[in-house]
Amino acid sequence: MAAYRADEEYDYLFKVVLIGDAGVGKTNLLSRFARDEFSFETKSTIGVEFATRTIHVDGKLIKAQIWDTAGQDRYRAITSAYYRGSVGALVVFDLSRRVTFENTARWLQELRSHTDPNIVVMLVGNKADLRHIRAVSVEEAQAFARKEKAFFTETSALESINVADAFTGVLTQIYHVVGRKVLAIGDDPSALPIGQTINIDMKDDRQAANKAGCC
Amino acid sequence: MKSTTAEVDPGSYLLSRTVDGFGFAKQEQSNSTEALSKNRPVDDHPNDREQKRIRKWRKMIGVGGSDWKHYVRRKPHVVKRRIRKGIPDCLRGLIWQLISGSRDLLLMNPGVYEQLVIYETSASELEIIRDISRTFPSHVFYQQRHGLGQRSLYNVLKAYSVYDRDVGYVQGMGFLAGLLLLYMSEEDAFWLLVALLKGAIHAPMEGLYQAGLPLVQEYLCQFEQLVKEYLPMLGEHFTQEMVNPSMYASQWFITVFSYSFPFPLALRIWDVFLYEGVKVVFQVGLALLRFCHDDLIKLPFEKLLHALKNFPAEAMNPDKLLPLVFSIKVSKRLEEFKREYEKRKERPLPHSLPPLSSSGRLDVLMDAKPGDGSGSNYSNHESPLPYNVEEIRPHGGINRFRSAGYSNCARKPS
Repeated sequence: MAAYRADEEYDYLFKVVLIGDAGVGKTNLLSRFARDEFSFETKSTIGVEFATRTIHVDGKLIKAQIWDTAGQDRYRAITSAYYRGSVGALVVFDLSRRVTFENTARWLQELRSHTDPNIVVMLVGNKADLRHIRAVSVEEAQAFARKEKAFFTETSALESINVADAFTGVLTQIYHVVGRKVLAIGDDPSALPIGQTINIDMKDDRQAANKAGCC
Repeated sequence: MKSTTAEVDPGSYLLSRTVDGFGFAKQEQSNSTEALSKNRPVDDHPNDREQKRIRKWRKMIGVGGSDWKHYVRRKPHVVKRRIRKGIPDCLRGLIWQLISGSRDLLLMNPGVYEQLVIYETSASELEIIRDISRTFPSHVFYQQRHGLGQRSLYNVLKAYSVYDRDVGYVQGMGFLAGLLLLYMSEEDAFWLLVALLKGAIHAPMEGLYQAGLPLVQEYLCQFEQLVKEYLPMLGEHFTQEMVNPSMYASQWFITVFSYSFPFPLALRIWDVFLYEGVKVVFQVGLALLRFCHDDLIKLPFEKLLHALKNFPAEAMNPDKLLPLVFSIKVSKRLEEFKREYEKRKERPLPHSLPPLSSSGRLDVLMDAKPGDGSGSNYSNHESPLPYNVEEIRPHGGINRFRSAGYSNCARKPS
């Protein structure tokens, strides 16, 4: 390893979680967004994984710290700690498996029981490339998202459709919310991961990112 | 079902040029193990030293394992030392079954596995199927859709999910089963899984997979404590950077390093893990952190997390890492943690078994009555292997086995 470069500069740091049933494509969505990679040989995620990407919004540098979580129910015992302090979430389902769409209601409920009510949520119908076996219509998903006050988009991590838009959509929206300072900043010391505190008044201060709660 | 052994032999795939000595596709970085695979059977002409070693092991085992128990009882320290040096790959499957106690379970429960696979249905079947192709996807044995590897993996996981409906199927178990299936038949792999999760020799691991993942939480908590005590500067750095073990070590415990570690290292860890118990997972974790200490301590949060999931090849070299692993003594401290943890939690005994359902269904349950005295020596994981697992079949349909190793969350014989 060469010299350690200081973390890149950024104006805002937002923590975002990726949740949804197992096998809907969360890990590939993240690898597509963070590294523009897709793999057919993705292993089931055990526990949590982490990646970052920095984007520009309104001339500001916004860094996303994204936590990818294991999808199986039982892993919520570990992963729910990562919801806390998140300011955005992508709730992912597989367009070709209806049950994964139906389960998003439970994911949303779970999410909201751990996070600030103003958290920005994007419902993501992934695997849009599987057109021929689509099991959820756009209208239905849209209506559901509206009811849940969430955004909605369809993506294909495989064909790289809409993936960046889904993430930047969430991040931009968080930025706007933060800009209006609507977001009540949680200060739950029991929250595990980093990024819990978005320090709105301390832009450019990397320390702000590292001053989150621990167990 | 045992007859599948011959077909399952992963060695037959080794001819392919596109896979490494362990059957992993070569292009995949994380499992590209060639440089490290000196322990593996690719070599058709093992050198004299290696052959001598194998002869020694064969002598220790006897025909079909007949001398093993006797040898272990007489010379436990020799066995421990030899296992730490690595079990010869050609004998690994058999030795694993002997040291885990699974061989006894298999012999005591003829026909049970077949029953579980063929006649029972599991609520987890779809979940298992969904993950099959996502378990060691770069390994040649598991790559073919509906191929032998995938079918075996499915059968073992399904059988387990029926055998223990409380645990069912949990992501991560596939990596244990997948690793075992590279070295033994389905039925053997199933019983080894049972031996581990139910605690035939060591403390049961089922808590890693039960609702709430209680044992994962406990181990992570203990690991964090150990880091603070054994590597105080790094522990402090982790605290500063808000890095905690759930971010990087869950997989270590849930899959016993089989998820993403280079295979030669994972195998050597498993050799020791099956004989000495879960403490080696803590030791390996600490050794890795110590090995990379001076680098890790300089890294900020994001780079730190990345480094903790991508250790350098040198650290993953078994011959470099393992001496360090064995130099770290954790048994005593772990015992103390466990006592403290139990005191704090006062968790209920694992008595609450599900009621037996109507006759005809095969319920395979574990007799969970701790403290009957017979196994008080089990608490010391370094003691000779006792092997007094027994079977009670009161109605011909209920198989139980007793072990005294299920002490992780309740009364411990002290």
